[in-house]
Amino acid sequence: MLQPIRILTVDDSASMRALLRHALTGQGFDVVQAEDGMAALEWLAGNEVDVVITDINMPRLDGFGLIEQLRCGTRHRDRPILVLSTESSDEKKLRARAAGATGWIVKPFDPEKLVAAVRRVTH
Amino acid sequence: MIATAPSSDLPSGPFPGSGMNRITVLQGQARVSGRVDDELTTILGSCVATCLFDPVAKIGGMNHFLLPEPPDSHDPAKVDVHYGVYLMEILINDMLRLGASKSQLKAHLYGGANLRAGMAPIGTANARFARAFLDQEHIPVMREDLGGNCARRIEFRPATGKVRCRVVENRLASETTPAPRPTRSGGDVELF
Repeated sequence: MLQPIRILTVDDSASMRALLRHALTGQGFDVVQAEDGMAALEWLAGNEVDVVITDINMPRLDGFGLIEQLRCGTRHRDRPILVLSTESSDEKKLRARAAGATGWIVKPFDPEKLVAAVRRVTH
Repeated sequence: MIATAPSSDLPSGPFPGSGMNRITVLQGQARVSGRVDDELTTILGSCVATCLFDPVAKIGGMNHFLLPEPPDSHDPAKVDVHYGVYLMEILINDMLRLGASKSQLKAHLYGGANLRAGMAPIGTANARFARAFLDQEHIPVMREDLGGNCARRIEFRPATGKVRCRVVENRLASETTPAPRPTRSGGDVELF
């Protein structure tokens, strides 16, 4: 039996984490959650994941910092990283792309589009 | 900076005699400002308005939501920023972008009335959601005026955090026009 796709969501909003968990577990994904970039890095140091979905504005380590940290090593260099943010400016998207993000999704998210994006970057 | 342009049947722009620039916050909107001459105002029935304020950065903002969270039966194709969970996030992020710090935020909550007996208590659900959200996010509520069966007018000065809450005739709340559907591209996906 195939292992489910494991997703790490990184968001400092507890309510948004609950919405993401609801949307993703309902589609059969294995969901792990971190509350900011630093917590995500600590978890990723000892665990494997198929996709990272990260917010941008977070305390301690924001989404840009998280992407940069993951891309500077070899272990997560090719890991799909989707940004999920209320931001939608070209400037922020370009910054995320330069840091190594795989894609950008605007909040409020549409669960169907989010799931489609995850499936697309993992196949 | 103000997040979106006003369009309202309530007065916006310079408020005669007060020297204040009055900005109406409609259902489904979040507005933030650090200008001392801005005043955010709204009229609430069952909706709830969250007023957030960073007393150090002197930046504040208000949202105005119609329903707490998407129900389980929510049609994924119908993303709706009238839900509180999205408007809370948008309000906080817009404030952080202006220079506020999340750890310094303080909140006021208003609205959540049940205007008509026998109708679903949407106001109660909105109030419950707002309290729970702020508790989860560790944002202290300094003042709240929630529930009851009367409409309220809120006037909030974002740069100072001062709020005035008055009871108004219920018909004023029902006349408030919802904001147009989101100008933000909700849920759009762009793969690089």
